[in-house]
Amino acid sequence: MHVEHLELKQFRNIEQLRLNSPGELHLFVGPNAQGKTNILESLYVLAVGKSHRTHGHREMIRWDQPAAFLKARVVKEGSTRRLEVRLTSQGKKVIKNGVEQRRLSEYIGSLTAVLFAPEDLSLVKGSPRVRRRFLDMEMGQVSPSYIHDLTRYNQIINQRNSLLKELGRSQTENWMMLDVLDEQLIECSAKLWTKRFSFVQILSRWAQEIHASITQGHENLSIQYRPSIPVTADMGPDELRDAMQQELTRIREQELYRGNTRVGPHRDDLRLFADGTDLHTYGSQGQQRTAALSLKLAEIELIHQETGTYPILLLDDVLSELDDSRKTHLLEAIRGKVQTFVTTTGLEGIDRETLERARIYQVRQGSFSEQR
Amino acid sequence: MDVPEPISKLMDGFMRLPGIGPKTAQRLAFFVLGMEEEDVTELAKALVRAKRDLKRCQVCSNISDQPVCSVCRDKNRDRSVICVVQDPRDMIAMERTREFHGLYHVLHGAISPMEGIGPDELSIPDLLKRLEDETVKELILATNPNIEGEATAMYLQRLVKPFGLKVTRIAHGLPVGGDLEYADEVTLTKALEGRREL
Repeated sequence: MHVEHLELKQFRNIEQLRLNSPGELHLFVGPNAQGKTNILESLYVLAVGKSHRTHGHREMIRWDQPAAFLKARVVKEGSTRRLEVRLTSQGKKVIKNGVEQRRLSEYIGSLTAVLFAPEDLSLVKGSPRVRRRFLDMEMGQVSPSYIHDLTRYNQIINQRNSLLKELGRSQTENWMMLDVLDEQLIECSAKLWTKRFSFVQILSRWAQEIHASITQGHENLSIQYRPSIPVTADMGPDELRDAMQQELTRIREQELYRGNTRVGPHRDDLRLFADGTDLHTYGSQGQQRTAALSLKLAEIELIHQETGTYPILLLDDVLSELDDSRKTHLLEAIRGKVQTFVTTTGLEGIDRETLERARIYQVRQGSFSEQR
Repeated sequence: MDVPEPISKLMDGFMRLPGIGPKTAQRLAFFVLGMEEEDVTELAKALVRAKRDLKRCQVCSNISDQPVCSVCRDKNRDRSVICVVQDPRDMIAMERTREFHGLYHVLHGAISPMEGIGPDELSIPDLLKRLEDETVKELILATNPNIEGEATAMYLQRLVKPFGLKVTRIAHGLPVGGDLEYADEVTLTKALEGRREL
């Protein structure tokens, strides 16, 4: 899939931008704080309906303006779709082919995007929350029903935490309701686990292959899903449910005391290993970066495998973070199949042949000019 | 120019209604000024009466202008089945089908610990009292198919177990008359889960 046309109005510091881009590689060059990242962010918002940088959307509207407009024409296997996101102080509207989509889960998937930003380099080193967010965002793009299950799960957790607090403080004696919420939690946890286990297995296979090629066979990467209770990938739904039930019974007192849900998919983690060594704890900075790169490239292949088409790739200022051999590998891996948008402060270190096939834009204070 | 107080009060009143902002409130207020006095009085009376005269039915908690609502009074209704709904509007929707001839019970909400709504905030104690009558044989749980609605249905199912009734849950899945290809993935998945053998 590729973006054929992009139009932005009053988005962050960009007053207006039109980009006709039949090209495959786009480089946005300029000093810091000029608006390079904003263009990648706009494509990401068009893909998944929300920003990777902020939770609110008010900040994405240009200062003093009532609304921001994002439009893209996306070509996927010969058919064209028009995507539109309108941001106003009242809220956000997502529109597909001129029709407003009430549910985000019905909008997502028309444009798939993989974003690689400097903060992703800490995907390996950072907290479990960062990795769970990675899983949720990526799985959401390939499976709308995953978004649905996840939303339900979070609602159940909120209800259950409120009830645990009330029961813990003896404000209610409604233990039967806790049984009900436990049943809902167990059911939903089992669904999320089944999906996550299978997703991580596929992701791991791709990451292993890509990582071997980047490190020229020197390192063997593996990814493991680390659940917060002893469940495994080979368990069926019944076994998953039984395990969760047992665990909830075991830690009941603790949950009542703390007033929140202590186990479940919202407490799980993802760990990466190189030749059996846990990279989170023992990996060097270089190893962690390479592993993060492998993970992102694996994601591209996984989206292709699951949806039949390659996503677009957004590389935000990461070329400068990678050494030459990793940079070359990255650009080779995506060549000819993935439409890519890159921001960079300079063109040094990018080989001549890559520059020749790229479209290069200079960015100054929110305005873009193509360099020929 | 300041708007005279009677008008601004009227506008404030309209703005408290759902879906009405300042512009609509102003339009409505000035429209009222142009109406016949008789019509205005009728409207005002209707508002007050709706609030003052409508009570909850002593049996099913539905809104009613009598101590017992018309459905509960109807001798032709099947008294062995009670359909539990969240809201009076849900009951109206069920009635439109003309396919259900039993009685109702209106909960006026769903259990939600987050919002501090427990069984006692709903008309659940009244429901239990009704079930003590042995003519009731089946309870249909028609709460909404979301987290709170499902939880309320599951809660009721457990709660009424000692009565030994038949307890059923309404089905969810594809809308009738729709095309399969236009159904969203989540609804379709639900429909698949709830498939029946022919």
